[in-house]
Amino acid sequence: MNRGAPVAIAGIGCLSAAGRSLKENMTSLFAGKRHAAPPVRFSSRHPVSYPVFEIPEYDLPNDASEIKKVSRTCRLGLSAAVEALQDAGLDAGQMTGTRVGVCIGTTVGSTMNNEGFYRDYLSGMHPDMSVIESFLRGNPASVIAREYGITGPCQTVVNACSSGTDAIGIGAAWISSGMCDMVIAGGADELCRVTYNGFISLMITDDSPCRPFDRDRKGLNLGEGAAVLILESDRSLLERKGQARAFVLGYGSACDGYHLTAPSPDGKGLRKAISDALIQSGRRPKDIAFINAHGTATKDNDRTEAMVIREMFPGAPFFSTKGYTGHALGAAGAIEAAFTIACLESGMIPANTGFVSPDPELGAIPVIENTGISKDIALSDSLAFGGHNGALLLGLARG
Amino acid sequence: MEMYIKGLGVVGCFGSGAGDLAACLEKGAPPLIAKVSASGPAYLAETSKLETFVPKKSLRRIDHFSQMAALAACLAVQDAGEPSSGAGLTGLIVCSGYGAAQSTFSFLDSVINDGDACASPTLFSNSVHNSAAGHISILLKMEGPCLTVSQFGMSVHSALLIARQWLHEGRADQVLFGAVDEYCNVLGYCRRRFFGEDDTGIMTPLSQERQSAIPGEGAAFFLLSKEKNEKSRYGAVVDVAMGRIEEKGMNLSGDAIYFLGADGHKSCDRLYKGVIPRGIEAACYSPLYGSLPAGPAFDMAIAALSIREGRLFASPESVKDQEGFRIIRGSNTAAPSLITCLKLEKEDEYGIITLADG
Repeated sequence: MNRGAPVAIAGIGCLSAAGRSLKENMTSLFAGKRHAAPPVRFSSRHPVSYPVFEIPEYDLPNDASEIKKVSRTCRLGLSAAVEALQDAGLDAGQMTGTRVGVCIGTTVGSTMNNEGFYRDYLSGMHPDMSVIESFLRGNPASVIAREYGITGPCQTVVNACSSGTDAIGIGAAWISSGMCDMVIAGGADELCRVTYNGFISLMITDDSPCRPFDRDRKGLNLGEGAAVLILESDRSLLERKGQARAFVLGYGSACDGYHLTAPSPDGKGLRKAISDALIQSGRRPKDIAFINAHGTATKDNDRTEAMVIREMFPGAPFFSTKGYTGHALGAAGAIEAAFTIACLESGMIPANTGFVSPDPELGAIPVIENTGISKDIALSDSLAFGGHNGALLLGLARG
Repeated sequence: MEMYIKGLGVVGCFGSGAGDLAACLEKGAPPLIAKVSASGPAYLAETSKLETFVPKKSLRRIDHFSQMAALAACLAVQDAGEPSSGAGLTGLIVCSGYGAAQSTFSFLDSVINDGDACASPTLFSNSVHNSAAGHISILLKMEGPCLTVSQFGMSVHSALLIARQWLHEGRADQVLFGAVDEYCNVLGYCRRRFFGEDDTGIMTPLSQERQSAIPGEGAAFFLLSKEKNEKSRYGAVVDVAMGRIEEKGMNLSGDAIYFLGADGHKSCDRLYKGVIPRGIEAACYSPLYGSLPAGPAFDMAIAALSIREGRLFASPESVKDQEGFRIIRGSNTAAPSLITCLKLEKEDEYGIITLADG
């Protein structure tokens, strides 16, 4: 792993059940608000209702004709992109050309799983093919590229729950390698009945609001949302007199090679991903202000993650924000990267909501109240199905 | 930066392994096409050879999509003469247009037939797009960086950009790179609804009049390295590019032989004539592997085979001569120093992969 140059983050957009913008999200987090409730947009026949973190429909843009034709995931992604571009001081006309790329992580957004279509197909009806046309035109990265007339590299990362983290790491690499001057990078994912049933079938879903790192944690709650970072080269920033809000300092990726849905108990993949991010940044563990953990509140995830954090960053404050947003799958890593930067900027990290009782097996306790921080570098990590791990090192200063 | 191809593994309707693909190319005829009930013809792949690499009991919970990918990955590693792909810094990149389509619909079957509370966890975990990468990393004990991407017909090109990036950054010394897509009846049904019935079973790519795409499935994997050595007999990937046709970024050399990714979708196939340099020589092999988003990886595999063999393979007879360029017919034409695999998609997207004799 070679040492890499920091990549500027010029703008950020973020929406989740905790808020319609990054600012609203952070206000909710620091106020300790959480909005877990039974799903509204779909129903299910489980004996108990599992809460989710859902974004109200009225919070999404729905006026443009193009937007009406694409999936909810794409609408979430576009909404975050609009905020990020405004934050960066960019207008749509500045995003065209081959040296602008789009890299977006998702899970649901790339899956052909429309249940209504399939039920009609099975029953011998002639289902409405506009559903499939929408899917074929609904690749989240392509939709954003089309919206802004972007013709450079375009990629949708489908690395399950680390997709958002990986998309930002890849976008940063496109800048540092000179392939792009600007990259719209992040993640987007919608709640849907298919993943709702899927995660319940795996018996890793809590029927009450989730409790990351708590002794009595029972699993995750699903969420939805999107976050987009505008990554930009120094040359481009200089030319347009823009300003960096923060920097991607390092990115790491590694697989466990252990199990399809559970992390390796020794945390080897996560450890390697974090080590690679540190090596690329040229920083040491003691430089880190805090860790924004994946913290899904599943037994296995939190056990492995707490062990790695405890061993690699002894005494460093850590927290999970899943208790505020739910697990937004392919968007989670991007949302948490956005939160990490906002925390660095505010000099404060939020309480790990949902945590009540320490788990002796973890040997680590997350922050239980809003806590001030002094350093300007932080880690955001993700663990995913397939045994994949991703880590981002983010900082306010270049070095 | 060049990416040298150390090993090649392919699985498709033609069989499995570089030998089976070469034999199919030699024959120059389409493979046996399976008739799929109610959904028309399709080129289907078979994966029983995976049992020579992996104990049968380990395969019980791995679906067909991941088995195709795993077999192609094992074949690529074996072809490279590597003891294991898990050694040191080996990255894994998998791309797919549709992901594990059959498992996705089978999971829905479990919901519809058995109820929400009895949905199948095994089918759900297999339906996730990166399940193939997950299974491969477990079977080959890989611990390096890992990525799955999905960009429909441009999946292969966008994923190759990352492979090059990883090698450049030193994130990996070598990358096990592959593309996989599977057929399922729902995809066949959608094809019929969009394009109508055509059960002739003959693909005629580059045709301006006829929609002739026949769905295919399979996987093509490559072990890529930035270091050239005696195992780099397949040459090297020297250029990867993607973008929009109208942009100035698409530079097509008049010195290369072109492998055209036309696959019987006439709305896409008609684009080729307008962009490729006049007078060049070109081949099109999609009638041998079918129409699938992972198709460009098969063209890349055939380009690698051509470089290894030092000669070009004839295009299948159903690929008709075109005005403005010559379709390669003879099987003994010497391979040129450059082979450009060109894929054009709706909405004027292009993808280019150029291989050179290393």
